[in-house]
Amino acid sequence: MIASVFYFLSFVSIFFAVMVVVSKNPVHSVLYLILTFFSIAGHYLLLNAQFLALVHIVVYAGAIMVLFLFVIMLLNLNAATEPVKSSLMKFAGAIAGGSLMLVLIAVLSKINSIQPAHEVNTQIGLIKNLGKILFTEYNLPFEVASILFLVAMIGTVILAKKNPHTS
Amino acid sequence: MNISDWLTLRIEIALAVFILLQLIIKIFDLIRSNETWLRLNIAITFLIVLLGFTGNDSGSLFGGMFISTSFIIIEKTILAFATLLVLMQSYNWLKHHQHTPEFFMLLLTALLGMFLMLSANNILLFYLGLEMATIPVAALANFDLDKQRSSEAGMKMILSSAFSSGMLLFGISIFYGITGTLTISSWQEILRPGGLEVLALIFIMTGFGFKISLVPFHLWTADVYEGSPVSITAFLSVVSKGAVSFALARFLFNGVIMMQEFWVEILFLLSIITMTVGNLFAMRQTNIKRFLAFSTVAQAGYILLGLAGDPVNAPTSVVYFILVYMFSNLAALGVVEIVSFATQKEDLDDYKGFYNSNKKLAIVLMLALFSLAGIPPTAGFFGKLFLFTSGIHSASVVWLLFASLNLVVSLYYYMRLVRMMFSENNEKPLASIQSPLLSNIALIICSAGILFIGIFGGLYDYLHQLAK
Repeated sequence: MIASVFYFLSFVSIFFAVMVVVSKNPVHSVLYLILTFFSIAGHYLLLNAQFLALVHIVVYAGAIMVLFLFVIMLLNLNAATEPVKSSLMKFAGAIAGGSLMLVLIAVLSKINSIQPAHEVNTQIGLIKNLGKILFTEYNLPFEVASILFLVAMIGTVILAKKNPHTS
Repeated sequence: MNISDWLTLRIEIALAVFILLQLIIKIFDLIRSNETWLRLNIAITFLIVLLGFTGNDSGSLFGGMFISTSFIIIEKTILAFATLLVLMQSYNWLKHHQHTPEFFMLLLTALLGMFLMLSANNILLFYLGLEMATIPVAALANFDLDKQRSSEAGMKMILSSAFSSGMLLFGISIFYGITGTLTISSWQEILRPGGLEVLALIFIMTGFGFKISLVPFHLWTADVYEGSPVSITAFLSVVSKGAVSFALARFLFNGVIMMQEFWVEILFLLSIITMTVGNLFAMRQTNIKRFLAFSTVAQAGYILLGLAGDPVNAPTSVVYFILVYMFSNLAALGVVEIVSFATQKEDLDDYKGFYNSNKKLAIVLMLALFSLAGIPPTAGFFGKLFLFTSGIHSASVVWLLFASLNLVVSLYYYMRLVRMMFSENNEKPLASIQSPLLSNIALIICSAGILFIGIFGGLYDYLHQLAK
């Protein structure tokens, strides 16, 4: 049962991810991306990581994608404004992508079966356990992340507030 | 966990406290004058450098997540010292900038990120440190707020660093999947060369390649170096590159030492292309910042050669080389900064006849170029020498041959600039430039470093002792 749900979700997420790349219209790309995020949230639920699934939907599918849509609407992008890429670029891209695929296939064909490295605590994704581990074992990265966000905010505000005198 | 354990974290704590204090001071607008901010921050950075020489060096905190040894402290001190020199050189530019306090907050946070990255024994903390060392610098690259080139630089930097972080994270997640632990030092007992491990290693090396701008991941380098303010170019090319090189050395020798046979092959290929492409492109540049950008790309190739050594010599030679390279590159970029601030000219042709109008600056630039090229009395020669002697451990003859040939090629374009400065005539020569006191002090320190580090050979022995 769980295996078939996993395969279904994997298929859905890969399919929509491909659609993000191939669709000509940027708005369609964003909508497909939202669906991809939802299917990835489904994966998190399968791993018993409920908090992560919820946050993923709220932050990515909710906040960030709405922002994306707004930007696209403001820029008024559509299929007609997509820049024309030269065939040389396409050729180079195909070669680079093809070599990467070759490497991936070569590697994956050599792996017979992957054993879990050690016993995994299946309850770790619950909010209570996550909060506990975040403030004990992973306290330092947690604090570091807060400084990182603070500074990223300072940087963004400066760039956003360019030329206050001229406007 | 007692007080003396906490003292191993003293540099990071001091830096974090200073950053937050500055934020509070800025919010309440307690300091108005840019010059006071500058003096305050130069003092803070100097204090950070001094902190490196005091107290307890080795220890581990947070369940082995944060480790510190004398060698790591030395690396941190070198980075802090380079930042101090960058700050001193940027005095002129920042004096009239409208966002000077924010500049320091961003710069010091980037430094804090590098410190955490170097001390991290947990890949999560390592990644956070790496992000903390790049995101503020991307904002700093955009700090010439009214110049479009600067915006372009900031944008290119943030996009390429986001992409490379994605690569790095993919590799890290595969390693985590194989080993089941985030602790880097326990990877070396588990990881053995195999299909999946090799794939993960390639992705991680790609991520590192972007950060130290190895060919073919160097495409952002020249544009970002050219568009950013010169101080940020200096910070990127010396401090960022140095920190990631140190981190790469630690990762290779502490995390995946068992796969050495394999990653030496990666280093071999990357190093040869990096040196060759960097040198060939440096020859045809007309802008001095782009010229120095490609010269730093080429220098990264030699760092990779040094990394092919054994676990003691390789990190030692890399640290020694970065120290030398710091003095040489900061001297070159310091002169460029003074000239660019005074005259807005950044073309190589503007430097024709530079010696006739600005004798002292021309001599400093000449010393820096000699050192970058690796001409014997200067420290650059010894930096390269130790990289080569370390690399001989496992580098093939072809590799060493390529490196030596590239040294000859690089000699050509460095010396071409020296010849332009000293013996060519310019119809519109640069005016005689009055440089500020702090920049002069920084240039004197750099020149002294270039001249004397090589002569006092004890330094390498000292680093070698610490690396054991």
